[in-house]
Amino acid sequence: MPSATEKYMTREFEGRSEQEAISKAVEELQIEREDFDIEILPPKRKGFFKKNVRIKIYYNDGNEENLEENEAPINSDFENQVIEFVTTLIKKMGYEAKVSVNFRKERKLGLNIESDNSSILIGRKGKNLDSIQLLTNVFVGRLDQDQKVIIDSENYRLRHEERIIRMAYKTAEQVKYSGRSRLLEPMNPFERRLVHTALNDFQGIETKSEGDSLYKQIRIIPIK
Amino acid sequence: MEKDLVEYIVKSLVDFPDDVAVNVVEGEKSTILELKVATEDIGKVIGKQGRIAKAIRTILSASATKGGKRAVLEILD
Repeated sequence: MPSATEKYMTREFEGRSEQEAISKAVEELQIEREDFDIEILPPKRKGFFKKNVRIKIYYNDGNEENLEENEAPINSDFENQVIEFVTTLIKKMGYEAKVSVNFRKERKLGLNIESDNSSILIGRKGKNLDSIQLLTNVFVGRLDQDQKVIIDSENYRLRHEERIIRMAYKTAEQVKYSGRSRLLEPMNPFERRLVHTALNDFQGIETKSEGDSLYKQIRIIPIK
Repeated sequence: MEKDLVEYIVKSLVDFPDDVAVNVVEGEKSTILELKVATEDIGKVIGKQGRIAKAIRTILSASATKGGKRAVLEILD
């Protein structure tokens, strides 16, 4: 647990499971799962049979954004190891690619893949890119570095975010004028946060997440 | 080759890379890759809710295959 408590904000959340409590925190505070630490609290005796899981989370407030915008110093040993891993992985998949640093932020390293086969490496709905990124982050976790790696190609991440937000607005318009709620396709916490944030100021509708798994669905509901 | 790819990925993720073994079984339409790792490492290869195993399978299916055969990954325990 973090010791410098004055640097962190704390909040408590409850859920039927640890995962649910975490998801609530992610959505309510609009932060990423990687950006906070959790402490599991002893269950409160509340109802007769339902024991909710209580968690306390520690997170950086506000200031972190400024911190993140600053370029982090070059950590070339680490970067070379990660670039080597991604390049070799793609090579063993049977493709040629050039992997380079896209951005350096506090605790985040952005990599870019340049390849003639970039459309395959991105995959449908970015699933291949996401898999490469996931495995790279597991590898990075083993290097004992407090870093997260974001892997992009052909600016896919930004285009994907824009596509989600456009779709959210379009659906919100339809809900507002038809008066009927609509369920969006399943999305991960990061994608859902984009939608909730984008539609926060949209008049005449509200957004709610449905479902239990990591990939919940957002429902856009008209309000009278 | 797929065997090489799986070995590379798995060896980068586990604590006991020397215990990683991939046995290739050639079928008519698919290639089956039987993966064996140290007992302590099984969780690392599968991941929470199977996320890591799923990512390895996704990458496997995205890799350029020779002869258009499908590669299937089986994790033995």
